[in-house]
Amino acid sequence: MTTTDAGATTDIGLLAHLYRRAGFGATREQLEELSHQSYDDTVEFLLNPTPEVDLPPDVLARYFGGESPNSYVSIWIYRMLNSRCQLQEKMALFWHHVFATGLIKNEHVLSSSNQIDMFRRNGMSNLKDILLELSRDPAMLFWLDNNENHNGEPNENYGRELLELFSMGVGNYSELDIKEASRAFTGWTFGQPPPLYPHGYYPAQFKFDADDHDFGEKTFLGQTGNLDGSDIVDIIVKQPASAKFITRHLYNFFVADEPQVPTWNDLEPLDPQLIDEMSSALLDSGGEMKAALRVMFLSDSFKAARFKKVKSPLEFVVGVLKMVGEFTELRPGLEDYATASDAMGQRILDPPTVEGWHTGKEWIDGGNLTERVNFAAEQIGDGDSPGISALITRMIDGGAMSSPEALVDSGLDVMGQLEVDDSTRDALVKFAGDSEGDPEPSRAVRILRLIAAAPEFQFA
Amino acid sequence: MTRPYGLLRAGFPFAKTLGMRRLTNFPIDIALGPEGRMYILCRQDGAALVRKYHVDDEDQGNWGEMGEEEGKLQWPVAIIADAEEIIFISDERLHRISSFDPDGEFISCWGEQGSGEGQLDGPSGITFDLDGNILVVDTMNHRVQKFTRDGEFISTFGSFGSGPGEFNMPWGITVDELGEIYVVDWRNDRVQKFDTNGEFVFEFGRSGDGDGEFNRPTDVAVDLDGDIYVTDRGNNRVQMFNSEPRYVQKFLGEATLSSVGRDYMMTNASPNRLRDMAVLEPQKLLRQPKGVVIDEEGRLFITDTGSYRVQVYQKEVIHLTSQQLAPPMRNVTLHQE
Amino acid sequence: MVTATKKDPVLVVVQLTGGNDFMNTLIPYTSGLYHDSRPTVGISEDRVLKMNGELGFHPDAGPLKEMFDEGDVAIIQGIGYENSNRSHFRAMDIMHTAEPLTIVTEGWLALAIRELDPAGKNVLTGVSFGRGLPRAMVAAGVRVTSVGDLDGYGLMTSVEAQEQRADELDVFRRMYTPMMDTTPALSYLQQTGDDVLAGIDQLQTVPGNYTSTVEYADNPIAKSLRDVARTHISGLGTKIFYTQHGGYDHHAVELVNHERLLTELTGALRDFMADLREHHASEEVIIYVFTEFGRRVQDNGSGTDHGSGGGAFIIGDRVEGGLYAEYPSLDPTTFANGEDLAHTIDFRSIYATLLEQWLGVESKEIVRGVYEQIQPFRAA
Repeated sequence: MTTTDAGATTDIGLLAHLYRRAGFGATREQLEELSHQSYDDTVEFLLNPTPEVDLPPDVLARYFGGESPNSYVSIWIYRMLNSRCQLQEKMALFWHHVFATGLIKNEHVLSSSNQIDMFRRNGMSNLKDILLELSRDPAMLFWLDNNENHNGEPNENYGRELLELFSMGVGNYSELDIKEASRAFTGWTFGQPPPLYPHGYYPAQFKFDADDHDFGEKTFLGQTGNLDGSDIVDIIVKQPASAKFITRHLYNFFVADEPQVPTWNDLEPLDPQLIDEMSSALLDSGGEMKAALRVMFLSDSFKAARFKKVKSPLEFVVGVLKMVGEFTELRPGLEDYATASDAMGQRILDPPTVEGWHTGKEWIDGGNLTERVNFAAEQIGDGDSPGISALITRMIDGGAMSSPEALVDSGLDVMGQLEVDDSTRDALVKFAGDSEGDPEPSRAVRILRLIAAAPEFQFA
Repeated sequence: MTRPYGLLRAGFPFAKTLGMRRLTNFPIDIALGPEGRMYILCRQDGAALVRKYHVDDEDQGNWGEMGEEEGKLQWPVAIIADAEEIIFISDERLHRISSFDPDGEFISCWGEQGSGEGQLDGPSGITFDLDGNILVVDTMNHRVQKFTRDGEFISTFGSFGSGPGEFNMPWGITVDELGEIYVVDWRNDRVQKFDTNGEFVFEFGRSGDGDGEFNRPTDVAVDLDGDIYVTDRGNNRVQMFNSEPRYVQKFLGEATLSSVGRDYMMTNASPNRLRDMAVLEPQKLLRQPKGVVIDEEGRLFITDTGSYRVQVYQKEVIHLTSQQLAPPMRNVTLHQE
Repeated sequence: MVTATKKDPVLVVVQLTGGNDFMNTLIPYTSGLYHDSRPTVGISEDRVLKMNGELGFHPDAGPLKEMFDEGDVAIIQGIGYENSNRSHFRAMDIMHTAEPLTIVTEGWLALAIRELDPAGKNVLTGVSFGRGLPRAMVAAGVRVTSVGDLDGYGLMTSVEAQEQRADELDVFRRMYTPMMDTTPALSYLQQTGDDVLAGIDQLQTVPGNYTSTVEYADNPIAKSLRDVARTHISGLGTKIFYTQHGGYDHHAVELVNHERLLTELTGALRDFMADLREHHASEEVIIYVFTEFGRRVQDNGSGTDHGSGGGAFIIGDRVEGGLYAEYPSLDPTTFANGEDLAHTIDFRSIYATLLEQWLGVESKEIVRGVYEQIQPFRAA
């Protein structure tokens, strides 16, 4: 059952798909409003959002104060729920996945949250700026030990991961390139912030220590000179291998689940043609992320990829909260959800390793699935919440109670036009039939709760 | 009690720093008891508690825990103590005011969410009036309501807006020794003064970071000389105004290591090394100060929320008679003597 | 298969994530090269817990030394493989799949579980505690159980009315009935949900069945090993347990971090064994402790970079304690890549040993070849 209102030009299901991927979901009302403009215009809006006015920093600070990871994450979740700049938040999360920096080692929460703010600020700009800012970011410098990368005593951790995981992928450079890149980043460090005790975190600031920098000649990817870190980034960004690697990351994050990153040198991309087109857009524009994103969101491959991607735990949590509609205005309480994704295998600000979280099917195991189902069932099962009660009203008003099939289809429709296997639908229809005679709102909320527990609901 | 004719402002030196991370976590408000006792309200995600403290920088334990049940706290905002040291705490998330004895034994609570008369939506600042009733800043309803200590509604004033007597998410409140009411009109970046009946008297402040301007002020205190102290949280400072109200000076923070902080550092070699390597200058400054309170001895307590401590200044002032202070002058002058 | 006890053999795998510094775990304390190479992270001779005239344990690995002295620890020195990969992820992947040359997705323990329980009758044959399921436990069609938190394990727990919950669990069961004719991802999800249902019923009984006088420390590896102990003691038929202990990537400030990790790890291992013995459930259990690689010989002024030539441990009552394989040569001319300890035994030799001699599973297919085994077990 598909409901479209008069004057709509864009399919609600497609918009729901776009907002699940380019953002963290959208309410049915938002989707209906967007359906009056073209899909391409909506993509342009996501790429070039109007300046943010919905998220006053003063109110955020009043209701989400603190410097713990949970404070920051709850503010970020609030942004994901309410920012009109959905893609900006999603790109911040994208870079957090790719440039995975973990609190388990860093511990300096302020530096980690500053890093995410940096991703939000720069995440849709030029790849060169992004990699350069990354190379100057104190959380990253510490995470990969560049604060110990000294002239004459190089520590190659950052140099290695910059090439292997952040830009090019294995197979596109030599061990020598790693050593030379590491030399180029010697002396890229940060000023010592005062310790946490007794008076809290103070920000760390990037510092170039010329006395500790190796100014000698270096040869990196065939170019020789007195190269420093920014030269390394310049060279990296011009490599077709980098464009291919970064756009494959985009594809893996936004379109469909690729195998894990270490296989990429051996396995072809799922959609080589789209990767080529995105890579060309990235290279031709001199590294503009928006150029690659535009090609991706407008591609047929993207449009056809509905429910083909396993939701990350954070996408799952925020998507559910968006449906529940409890946090459309600022008030205390959201911090309760800051750790909801932890038990599902994704602790925000603390990816397990520099490789980031393993995605796709690997998000799911018995323990994680249990957490997901229980979380969604509890949240969606709250028929008193503003979001769910609105969905129930919409279902009942739309004739959901006319038959068990109508009830199930109506539930699937209001939950983002979710597509399910026949076996799932049959199980739901049977339940809907068995519950005939129960109060209408109760039947509706129980169907929604069960849909939220369905295997298909795990897909975006 | 009458206010002095005039003041010789001798100084307002920094006195001391109290508390540290772990003891006074994100302190947001202070209630003062007799004999140097302090009740410091601390609030972070996952924790809401009252730290019993002594002005000599001595920890006396803590009480309070998070939860929705009666006697628990979720998002406490303000704390006040009466003469018997009965403690009242507002909770912006639970829409209620709870009372406790000095050791944290729960006494009672009142408040109901809503926008009707006597209902609350996000209560923040609280204060006693001269009759012992409680004035509650009803933030999301953009008004101030007066209740008995037991929560019976008495009266209300204010509504949403930016004109005189109107509010936009007000926060802190205090009552001076004459019974007049000062309300921090948070999102209008100003402070408004009302008489004992809630009639508008004056307002001061506007958005900005210059002297006398505010960036989301949070709290207000008034001393026995009529001087007004406003935590200008977004500008990381406290500003002082005289009773007219004319801007007098600002406090940016002069923190030293508290005595508990020194004890900690003396047994921790590694943070000592980090301090040795770091530029310490920013450490003295206030960071997102939230609460301000001044006692009868002129001790000004500022909850330096973002730095897990309380900064204390000491007012030094001599009261002047009309013989000691020349009559008011209409014009400024360069003439001396 | 050397086991001759009545009970089925059980393997507990402990993964040290990040690359444990073997050279600072079992320290060649008389070697001048060791001290010269490690001016910063080297452990001075007087602090080493000496095992013999050449080797000693890290000062914070006391419990491991106690167990070694009691003859319960086999130390495999110099474990590795040719052309050791220095990428954590690839290196860990290699350890999980037993395949250094190409990328495969089937884990060696999952393949063992397939042999131990070919029909997949018991979803608890393989159980992983902690965050995420390791690749080692994953293979197509092999059902294992992953438990984040043993206490409070269940589905649709927010539905309070028992009858409603039962109805909804019934729908859940139908929705998660595995289908063959669907996408691999959906099929995997259905299978996972189905396994969860099967495991929940059994695992819910574990906490109530267990009491112990052993008090574990409060850290993640102790919590995980306690969960292993509780589950094993409950007798649910689990043959392979998996746990992880993270944080071993000591590029920097190694001394402090390594001290903490070894304290946590070795204490938890000792408590775990004591717990099993108290319940007469230790004879059938061995622990295998491994990491993805060793670390560089030369320190970098604060920590050590990725290297090769690591070490592994087999612990248990049935273990013939002692040193196995050779300690990697400290002669720089023998170093791999000119800077790493060269391995002296292939990790697949150990897998083959564990599979064949302990679990009774043919190893050739799983490790993709025939590797010489060691003899670390004694008869019951």
